[in-house]
Amino acid sequence: MADHILKFSLNRSTNVEQLADGNLLSVCRLRDTFTEAEIRMVVKMPELEIAEISGSFRHAYLAEIEDLNASLKKLLGVRVGAGMLKIIKGLLGEAENLEQIVYMVEEACHGVILHLTKKVLLKAPDDAEGKFAFYANMVKKSIRLYDRCAAFAKGSPLVAELEAEKRAGGEL
Amino acid sequence: MISEFNRNKIINVSCLDAETLAVHGILDDSIYSLELDFKVRIEGLQCFAVEGRWRRWTTPQCPEALKFLAQAEGFCLDKGIEDKIHKTIGRTACRHFANLFNESAYAVRETVKLLRWQQFQGGGGELSLRDFLAQDKGQRDADPVAAVAVTPAETPAPAAARPRPESSSRSPESNSESSFVIDLHVHTAPASPCASDSLETMIEEAKRIGLDGLCLTDHNYLWSADEIRKLRDQYEFPLFRANEIVTEQGDMLVFGFYEDVQGIIKLEELKNRVAAAGGFIVAAHPFRGFLTFGADDIGLTREKARAREMFRRVDGIETLNGKVTATENDLARNVAADLSLPATGGSDAHDKSTLGCYATAFTRPLKSETELLAALKSGEYKPVAFR
Repeated sequence: MADHILKFSLNRSTNVEQLADGNLLSVCRLRDTFTEAEIRMVVKMPELEIAEISGSFRHAYLAEIEDLNASLKKLLGVRVGAGMLKIIKGLLGEAENLEQIVYMVEEACHGVILHLTKKVLLKAPDDAEGKFAFYANMVKKSIRLYDRCAAFAKGSPLVAELEAEKRAGGEL
Repeated sequence: MISEFNRNKIINVSCLDAETLAVHGILDDSIYSLELDFKVRIEGLQCFAVEGRWRRWTTPQCPEALKFLAQAEGFCLDKGIEDKIHKTIGRTACRHFANLFNESAYAVRETVKLLRWQQFQGGGGELSLRDFLAQDKGQRDADPVAAVAVTPAETPAPAAARPRPESSSRSPESNSESSFVIDLHVHTAPASPCASDSLETMIEEAKRIGLDGLCLTDHNYLWSADEIRKLRDQYEFPLFRANEIVTEQGDMLVFGFYEDVQGIIKLEELKNRVAAAGGFIVAAHPFRGFLTFGADDIGLTREKARAREMFRRVDGIETLNGKVTATENDLARNVAADLSLPATGGSDAHDKSTLGCYATAFTRPLKSETELLAALKSGEYKPVAFR
């Protein structure tokens, strides 16, 4: 068996750019062994609402999606943010040939969130001490980060100050 | 045209031998760069030999994530594994590794389909890929034994519970008036799949910390009146039914409305149905934002925030929610004030540790859902920090 020859390959890219009017264009493209697809959406700022959306989908074995763009229009006005996946799934449905489209819409939305996250992270100082303080302060400001990943897990040095404050307040 | 954020993912799958796949995944974006390697037994789709590497990361503690990737050893990568990966790898290691893992799991499933078709062709079969997979799916649906076994190694998910106070009492600063305090936003297991404590546990905790009542707002779940009456009698504790319903404009707490709504409903339609039933809608955590930035970071001003269409269709706004930041609660409070909408408070607790952190103080005791509904419509209450 020629084990160095790939059986399956996937390339997915998501790109976000700021438009002249301040809104964000997020495009998610997928090319894998079976699929060629694209989702293109404009997100209105600062409301973070999907203002325009279109897409294309070509697949080796799944049925063609009838009037994909009409389906995607159901997402107009949906806000990019926490809980969006259940809304996207609920509005587009869960037919097998729409699963990848649902995922790509979510990825395009995540691209927007990560683009805005990048802007915040650019403010982090370069020195080790400053960087540490920056992230320790971030979790204090946004408590939802606490215990959400290894970096901000209970007992992590980054949450030591937060936990000390909680202990002082009787919460720990 | 300048692309300011770019994320590229590459997943490659090869066959190590007739029984094993090798998966190599790369996630490289404007913030992070990471890699994942693992192997999969084709029969059963179980993954093993999981290894990760960071190339670029953010916090000084991110490298700690690598030691938690082994939790995925033995996972069966069949459809439906995504939630488990998010809850284990995403919560204990890193959500970007979880994202790459889920992408890789998809690639594995697609590879196995391709292999089955190629095997079929090798045996002289002449169906197209599409026809073969349709037939194969039919056979697997009809004969579940032939389907890929879902036998994940049961690595226990980390307890999501947050630390709870050893003792707790009402804060005289936050709720000094004589009042009847109900946590108006509570989830229980198993009614809400994302919750971890049972209703019985939540009632015991509510009594312990001194709440006067609980209002159940499980996601798109309608408790029966009989069930609640029995529990209310058994525990001698006021319980009320409501519902947290997902709309295209976000989550809504709905009171006095006892239809079993499933899936997504348009807020306009929900408003019409609730109004017809004489119910009451509260916009839940309307400015719930993101982990690393908030409304202020994206320039969402009070003026722009209150112009959201959602606020024309609700009767009240949750201005103290236990799962959002102080800034987000402040914005909700300001918008409620600007629009003269009544404000409520609720913990949004999914386990007992955060129950009652916020609640709503009514001016008199409430004995029934009818009384709760009337009180909500009267506007005689306020959100309070309770715990």
